[in-house]
This record gives sequence, C-alpha cells and structure tokens, in this order.
Amino acid sequence: MKLHYYPGCTLKEKTTNLDESTYAAMKMLGYELVEPENWTCCGAEFPLNEEKIVGLAAPARILRQVEMEGGDKVVTACAFCFNVLKQTHIALLNDPLKQKRINAYLKDDIRIDPVTKERTTDFPEYRGDVQVLHLLEFIQKEIGYEKVRSLIRRDLGNLRAAPYYGCRLLRPKGETGIDEPDDPSIFEEFLESIGIGVVDFPFKQECCGSYLSVSLPDAASEVSYRILRSAKLNGADMVVLSCPLCYYNLDRRQDRIREKFLEFTGMPVLFFTQILAWALGVEAEILGLDQHFFDPRPVLGITDKAEVAS
Amino acid sequence: MRTILKLGKQEHRFIDRISELSGENVYSCYQCGRCSAGCPMAFEMDILPNQLIRLVQLGEEEALIASKTLFICASCFTCQSRCPKGINIANVAEAIRYLAEPKGKDHFGPDEVPAELADELP
Amino acid sequence: MNGNGKKKRIGVFVCHCGVNIAGVVDVERVAKALEGYSGVSFSTHYIYMCSEPGQNMILETIREEKLDSIIVAACSPTLHEKTFQSVIELAGLNPYQVEIANIREQDSWVHSDKEKATLKAIKIVKSMVEKVLQNESLEPIRVGVTRRALVIGAGISGIQSALDIADHGYEVLLVEKNPSIGGHMIQLSETFPTLDCSQCIMTPKMVEASRHPNIRILTYHEVESISGYVGNFKVKIRKKPRFVDPDKCTMCADCEDVCPQIVSDEFNMGLSFRKAIYLPFPQAVPGTYTLDIENCLGLLPIRCGKCKEVCEPDAINYDDQETVFEEEVGAVVVSTGYDLYDLNHLGEFGGEKYEDVINGLEFERILSASGPTGGEVRRPSDGKVPKNVVFIQCCGSRDPENHNPYCSKICCMYTSKHAMLYKHHVPDGNATVFYIDVRTGGKNFEEFYQRTIDEDQVLYVRGKVSKVYKEGDKIIVWGVDTLTGRKIEMEADLVVLAMSMVQTDGVNELLKKLRISSDANGWLSEAHPKLRPVESLNAGFYLAGCAHGPKDIPETVSQASAAVAKVGDLFAQEQLLHEPTVVPVDEDLCSGCGICVTICPYSARELDKEKGVVKVNEVLCEGCGACAAACPSGAAQQRNQTDDQIFSMVRAILRG
Ligand SMILES: Cc1cc2nc3c(=O)[nH]c(=O)nc-3n(C[C@H](O)[C@H](O)[C@H](O)COP(=O)(O)OP(=O)(O)OC[C@H]3O[C@@H](n4cnc5c(N)ncnc54)[C@H](O)[C@@H]3O)c2cc1C
Ligand code: SF4
Ligand code: SF4
Repeated sequence: MKLHYYPGCTLKEKTTNLDESTYAAMKMLGYELVEPENWTCCGAEFPLNEEKIVGLAAPARILRQVEMEGGDKVVTACAFCFNVLKQTHIALLNDPLKQKRINAYLKDDIRIDPVTKERTTDFPEYRGDVQVLHLLEFIQKEIGYEKVRSLIRRDLGNLRAAPYYGCRLLRPKGETGIDEPDDPSIFEEFLESIGIGVVDFPFKQECCGSYLSVSLPDAASEVSYRILRSAKLNGADMVVLSCPLCYYNLDRRQDRIREKFLEFTGMPVLFFTQILAWALGVEAEILGLDQHFFDPRPVLGITDKAEVAS
Repeated sequence: MRTILKLGKQEHRFIDRISELSGENVYSCYQCGRCSAGCPMAFEMDILPNQLIRLVQLGEEEALIASKTLFICASCFTCQSRCPKGINIANVAEAIRYLAEPKGKDHFGPDEVPAELADELP
Repeated sequence: MNGNGKKKRIGVFVCHCGVNIAGVVDVERVAKALEGYSGVSFSTHYIYMCSEPGQNMILETIREEKLDSIIVAACSPTLHEKTFQSVIELAGLNPYQVEIANIREQDSWVHSDKEKATLKAIKIVKSMVEKVLQNESLEPIRVGVTRRALVIGAGISGIQSALDIADHGYEVLLVEKNPSIGGHMIQLSETFPTLDCSQCIMTPKMVEASRHPNIRILTYHEVESISGYVGNFKVKIRKKPRFVDPDKCTMCADCEDVCPQIVSDEFNMGLSFRKAIYLPFPQAVPGTYTLDIENCLGLLPIRCGKCKEVCEPDAINYDDQETVFEEEVGAVVVSTGYDLYDLNHLGEFGGEKYEDVINGLEFERILSASGPTGGEVRRPSDGKVPKNVVFIQCCGSRDPENHNPYCSKICCMYTSKHAMLYKHHVPDGNATVFYIDVRTGGKNFEEFYQRTIDEDQVLYVRGKVSKVYKEGDKIIVWGVDTLTGRKIEMEADLVVLAMSMVQTDGVNELLKKLRISSDANGWLSEAHPKLRPVESLNAGFYLAGCAHGPKDIPETVSQASAAVAKVGDLFAQEQLLHEPTVVPVDEDLCSGCGICVTICPYSARELDKEKGVVKVNEVLCEGCGACAAACPSGAAQQRNQTDDQIFSMVRAILRG
C-alpha cells in the first residue's frame, strides 16, 4: 500500500537512522512510503506570532503538494515536523482568513525544473483536506496493534523500554497532541504491541531542554539528565522516542551529561521506528545503530552479526 | 526598589499589542503560578513565567525586554497545557521577543551556533 | 359579545410608563383611536398605571362607567398582569376579564419610528379588545394537598430536613441509596471551625431520625419515577434487596466472620477492607448488616451460603427481591449531596497511581478516631507516620480550562483543619499548604485559619502545584512560591489533595425524572438566585445541601431548615389554586386520534379507550397550548385563547 510520508530535512541529513528505520519498518508492515515531490523544510518551529503568518507558507506548501498528488493524509516520524504540519493544518482549518492569505502566497509559487528549466506556475489552492498523522497514530488507528503483533519476529520480552514523549507529540494541549498531555498512553500501547516491556516514568512528558543545549548547555544537560535518571530509576533498559532534537539532547550529549553528573552511567536511546523495525526482523545494519553515542547494540543483544529469529 | 505604577496610554498600548501578537488574553491570568511550578527551565530564569505575565499586566515593557527569561523559555508548552486559564505563555514570550528585536535584543541566530555542533544539531 | 351574548363594556387604559412608552408611542392618540371601537366604552391614558393613583383611577372608572372588562396597554404581562387582576377583583370583576396589551417590550422598546410605533400600538390594543370581547369569566382550579414529604438523600441536609418536617407534624419518607443514613458528614473526623467530633454531633441526629414517629427511613432505596404535580405527587420507590432482615439482625457479626469475600471499604474510602456482608460503620442507621450482592460469591448454597448457616436469628434471606412500590407525597426535598472529583483527572499528579497521594475525605478517615488507622496519622502505602505532609488546594477547582470553573468553597477551611489536626497528631512533622487564595468567609473561619499559622506553624506557600511524582520512596512536589518568585521542589511523605466538589454520580438521571433543572456545572438550580434560593423552578421541589452547590455543614443545615419552611408554606394551604386557562376537550368534536396525548409535555392527556375520546387532567395541564395547535378537529380549545379569539385578533391586526 502507498502512503504519503514527510521525512523532513533532519532525517535526510543528520538523523538518517530515524528515516531509514521508518522505511524499513513500514516495508515490513506492508507500506510503500511516498515522499511528496519537491518537498522542502517545514520550518521546524510553528510560528507563535499571530503576525508571522508567512511561516505557515512552507508547511502549507507541503500539505498542498500531498493534496495535488491525490493524497488525503501524510505521515511523519519526526515529532517536530509532525507538530509544525499538524498545527498548520489546524490553523488553516479553523481560520478561513488565514487559509486565504496563505493561498495568496502559494498561488505565486514558481517552480523551475533544475534539468529542463521548465517553469511551473499557477498552482491550485490548498483546500485543507490533508490529515496529518504521526506514525504512532497511524499505527494505532490504521494499521492496528493486532496486525503489528502478528508480524513480530524478535522477542523483546526481556527488555524494558521507557517511552519518552517529550513536548511535540503532546503539546500545545488541544487539537495538536496525539494524546492527553499529562496522561498519555499511545506510546505505551505501541511498545506493548511490539512485545517489549514498558516502563512508566514521571518524566515522559518533560522537556529535554530543546535548543538550550546550544545557549545554556549546562542547564540543558541537567533537564536531560533528570529524564534519563528517572527512566533508569524506574527500571528502563532504554529510552524510546520520536524527536531528533530529543535524541540529540538525550543521546548525543551524554558525554556532556556525564561530565556534569558523574554518577550517570549512560542509557541507550532509540527511535521508536528502530525498535519497531528490529522487532519486525529488520537487520541491524539498516537501522543506523552505529550512529548512537551510547551504543544500543549490546542491550539489543547484537554482538557481531544479528540473527533473525523466526 | 520602588515602582511607580502607571497604567497610561503607553502601557495599555503595550498590553494590547502583546495580546494581539500572541493571541492570548493576558488580563485573564490570576497569578496562580502553576506555569512557573511546572516550567522545566524556571531554575535558570531571572523572572518566572507567572512574573512575565504579571509584568505584562503592569505594562512593564522595559523590564520584560531586559529579562533573560525571554530567551530561556524552551517553548515546551508545559505551562500552556496546565494553565487553568488556558494562557499560552510561550506565545506571550514570543510576542515580547518580537517587540524586543527592533530594540537590538536578539539572542543567537543560526550563524552563531558553534561549528562543531552545526553538523549534528537538528 | 361575551359568553352570554351580552354586549361588553370595555375600558382601555394606556400607560406612558414614564417615557418608556410615551417617548416613542403617542399614547394620547392611541387612547383616542380606541374610543368608540367595538365594545370599548371608555378609553384614557396615564403616566404610571401600576402606581397607586393609576390603580385607583382604574378602580373608580370601572365603578363609574360600569365596565365589565378592561385592557391595560402597558408592559409585558409577566410584570403586572397579576397587579391588574387584583385591581379588577377589588372592583368585583372576574380577574380573567383583564388583558394586557404589551406596547412596551413589543413596541416602544424595539422601535424608534414614532408614527409607525403608534400605529402598531393601536393594532395591538385593538386585537386585545377582540380577545376580551370573547373572554369568559373563569374560576381557578382547586386541588387538595397531600401533607406528606419525600426527602431524597440522607446526609446531614436530608436528615435535618426530615427532622424539621417531622417536627412540624407532617410525615416524611427519607430515601437513601446507601445502606445507612449519614452521608459524608459521618465520615468526617472533626469539623471546622469548632473542631467538634463529627460522629459525636451526627450520631444523635441519626438516632433521632430513626426514632421519630413521623419519619420513615428507607435506606437502600432509590426513587424510580415521579408523576403528578405540586401537592399531589405519586412516587415510585425501588427497594434494593438487602438480603438481611433489619428487624431480626442483632449485629452479632457472625456472618461477617465467615464471609470469605474481602472487598474495599467505601466508608473508609478504600483505605481498609470489608466483607461482602457488612455493617457500613458501627453507628449505622438502621443498625443492620447488608449483603452486597455484587461482591457475594453467589447465594446458592453450593457456591457459598456460609453466612446464612451461621446467622442465629435467621435474619438472612437469600430470596429477598427487588421491589417497587408507590407512595403519595405533596412536596419533595432534594438533598443528594456531593462527590469529590476523581483523582484520575489529574494525570500530572499521577492520578490514582500513588497510594500516598490522597483526597481530603481519605485524610478525614485517617484522622478519625474510628478510622482505619485507629486515629493515628499513618500513610496508606506502608503505615509509616508521615513527617512531611503537603496539602494542595484548588485541585480541579477554579480551573475553567481543564476542570471545574467554580470555587469549591469549603476546601480552604478543611485544608486548614487538616494541617492543624495533623500538627496536633504529629507535632514534630511539617505541614505545608500550597494555595492560590485562602477564602475564609464564614463566622470564626478567619480566626481558625490564623490559628493554623500562628499556633500550629503550618507553612502556607502561595502557588499552584504543577506536578507530583514519585521517586523511590519519596513523593516529589513541584510548586512555586509566587511571593518570593521561587520555583519550589520538595519531598513529601504524604500529599493530600483538596479535590473539587462535584455533583453526585447518577443525580443527573434523577433530575430528569423529577424534571428539575441544574446549572452548567451540574448543581441544582434555584428558582431565583437571591429571592428564592431554596426552591426549584418546578413547583413542589425544594433544594437542600451540597446538591445545590458546595457548602459547609452550617450552611447545609440552614438551607435544609429554610427549605422546610417553604414546605411548611405549601402544607399550610387549605387548597392549591391552579390556572384555569387549560385546554379541555370538546367530546363531541374529538375523534380520538390521540395526537394531543403524544404531544403533551406534562402527560395531562389520556385516551379514554371506551368512549374513544381524550380525557384531560386539568390539574396537570400547564396551558402551554401545544395540543390546541396540534388538534386536527378543533376539539382542543384553550380557555380564553380559542381559535375564534385568535382569528378575531388576527383580523383586527390586519384591518389596522
Ligand atoms: C474532606 C472534607 C472535609 C470536610 N470538613 C468539613 C468540616 O470540618 N466542617 C464543615 O462544616 N463541613 C465540612 N465538609 C463539608 C460537609 O461534608 C458537607 O457540607 C456536608 O456533608 C453536606 O451534606 P449533604 O447532606 O448536603 O451531602 P452528603 O453528605 O453528600 O449527603 C448526601 C446523601 O444523599 C445520598 N444520595 C445521593 N444520591 C442519591 C440518590 N439518587 N438517591 C438517594 N440517595 C442519594 C448519598 O448517599 C448521601 O448519603 C467537609 C467536606 C469534605 C469533602
Ligand atoms: S498558570 Fe496561567 S493563570 Fe496561572 S499564573 Fe501562569 S499564566 Fe497565570
Ligand atoms: S475553597 Fe479554597 S481551595 Fe477550595 S477551590 Fe476555593 S479557593 Fe480553592
């Protein structure tokens, strides 16, 4: 089955492990992912300012492209992109004036083919009919946990994962989130369906420190540390998440965290699609597990060459 | 410290401008403090989120523009998700930043990100 | 022409209502235009018809001009119809011979074009003349009063209501859904602001109620349905099977000893256990065991049957059945109390995940001398004496965005009480209260609160808590002290949440049966927020206690007694009067189609199968006219609002 998938820039350039594991896992689940043609960056932050409406143009353009290609939904794996696309979708849906203003921008789009130099103009209006789903939602609503369960190839029953939602899957509270901001369960249900033990920990919806890892690195280390520590205290073998920025702060910065908090011994941090693909029997090499700061392979029992249990 | 409280035209213009830019009703905050209680970055801030809203209510534009808090808010929306009055403080902080920018107050732009991070940072 | 074919002598009185009407409508012209109109013998205008000189003028004119009916062209009839009805009664006329022509709300207030407004006023008055020409003189319908009351819910409000009604000399049925009366008050430890022991002051009331010859206590009963009208209700009451005969049960506890089924104890808020056959608490009224069928292993001797075997007085009857019976009452007091908001709504506090994060009623049980910890303050998880207790106010209250917008009113006071009592029990412990505002607007409340701070050294921190979670053995609370601008993180051994008060579960369905209304938050609505605070808009229903909104005990008791005073007003009347402008049936015209029966919202109409015509219970008919509009054969004609009258009015308006 074909499915529109928006990867976003980070997944193509930096956290390619999230992108590649998404492709691999979805293939196992019977989906061929289709990226909207000529997609651009979503903008990374939804404009918080009522007057910076132009910030909606990029995400709206992506949604329009999906619509032009006959799609009625688009799936993302990156929590940040999901948040921007979903908020844009809602903003345009709830505010016809905004939609009109954005369409006025988009109408003047010019696309020049890099090879043939052919110009395309006169793009249609975006009607607002594209549903934005995070992959966790798509699995819950459209694939179904039963189906996932039936396709599991590896037994992860002896492992315990802490689902880390962070901010962008749950907030702002209201239409954006994929679950209740303070009592979510969709990530837990997902993990249960792939047969891994689930750890309930009180920091699952706390912020990882976001871009403060650049401006106030020590402060960011502290909030990241508290999340990892809470997961560990509650018995997790790994933290599972969906956001490249959270991954950066919680995994790639573990050296900085260790400098500040000496007792911290490290914790594997995985993308939900990596653990999904692994459970579905995808080979380890495809999952980019070697890109992590804290090597997750030992905890997954990958020593040399992975064995596919059947 | 002594503050002369004055809610004149200028202050009202400022408060209204913030409401307009942020889309939030800053008058409705009743100062319960819940935003600050749950804020993950509060420990780094010079003024707490509830104080930020308070200073807007008092029309204290200068104090706000001078505050470090503006650039410490991580826009995680924890405050928004728990505020009993549904106020999105991240939006209010963004509105103040917007007004601060022309006054020469901006944090760092992408070009200031250290080169060794730029490769990795999403 | 009136009903007797005699020509009527009608007087028209046009009111200026100061400038309210006269500012837009040329009242003098209206009065002039009506002079000589069919049936009008007299027409005039005056600045305030409702004033005493205005009323006197009408009275004298009726006598001098020998008028037999009048029209007052003035404000809406809801304001002064009654006033002018009594005026013409004084003049010896039938009150149904006055009509109000509304030329204020329907004319001067909504128009500005004086010429058009004046013409409209003339049309309105003329149309009323046409109506009055055919008005009959009517007598109110008289009905008797059943001087017997039903009280639903037997907390302190229901018990107080029942005792007061009984002391007035009337019979009371006191219906309670639980096995014992007592409600929440019997669960409380000590009560603010005097710290008297709740059980000590409640138990005597419960006993008094059970012994009062005028009170019939129906515990483990619920109201199934209600029909009828003020003064004359028929109530169906469902008795739930208790499987134990209260008259035989000696409370020896033998059954409890052998029962193998252990379940969580509601009275102790789940902090202890009871058996499937149980006494809710030692002072329960009636003093009898109850077999909770939902938790019983099964009544068949093969499944269990142990309790029946050991019961010496043979009080246990496995064949007990649910029964429904009917009672007649004249008034109903609704005193169904409150529940606490469910902890699960507060995910950021862990919902019900953490055993040592509890609500106020649980803490009451922990403080209570008869509670699960025998009056020692011990926390639920491990029985340790908590050395750091955090109290959080406004949990689910004052939060229009996520929970309930209203203030629960009593939690500031009981939190103060909790902190104080905790310090009395554990003097070396720390009590910290997180609050937004402290509201102590009651007699001796502020003094009580200040004692908590001055003498018991409870620390009040101003700020709303955002997160509560567990780390190892400790509970961590994230708050703020807005007074110093510091974010606070603190460890606690026990956290007590002042959960919002909410409407009792299931009361919404009851309200539908009673046809009484509630407000946006689910609390019962009073007839007027200031002037009729203890009555429902639906006549014959009265409100008492927390079912109407959060209240403390003194206020609950006052409201109960006030409601009973109103019940007394009703019962003091010889007969009740009902508006005669109902819709009877002309049996000659009625085809028995029954359309009106289905349309009537008050169940006032019934098909007489034998005669093939519809019968009307005039006392139930509220005169809404729905049936009159629906009747295809013209058999349903509302008194003084017949089709003929309406057509003449329309014709008058069209003629101008
Ligand atoms: C933690 C806490 C501490 C408190 N401490 C104090 C204090 O110190 N001092 C003070 O003045 N006040 C105190 N209060 C307030 C006090 O509990 C109430 O004011 C009082 O109990 C209200 O009585 P009530 O009869 O209106 O309601 P309830 O006590 O709730 O009684 C209602 C009764 O109606 C029954 N019922 C409900 N629905 C039905 C139905 N459909 N059919 C039949 N029966 C039904 C219920 O089972 C119950 O028995 C406290 C409250 C709380 C939560
Ligand atoms: S949580 Fe909302 S109401 Fe409370 S202080 Fe913060 S902004 Fe104001
Ligand atoms: S009574 Fe006090 S604690 Fe309760 S909701 Fe009102 S202000 Fe909050």
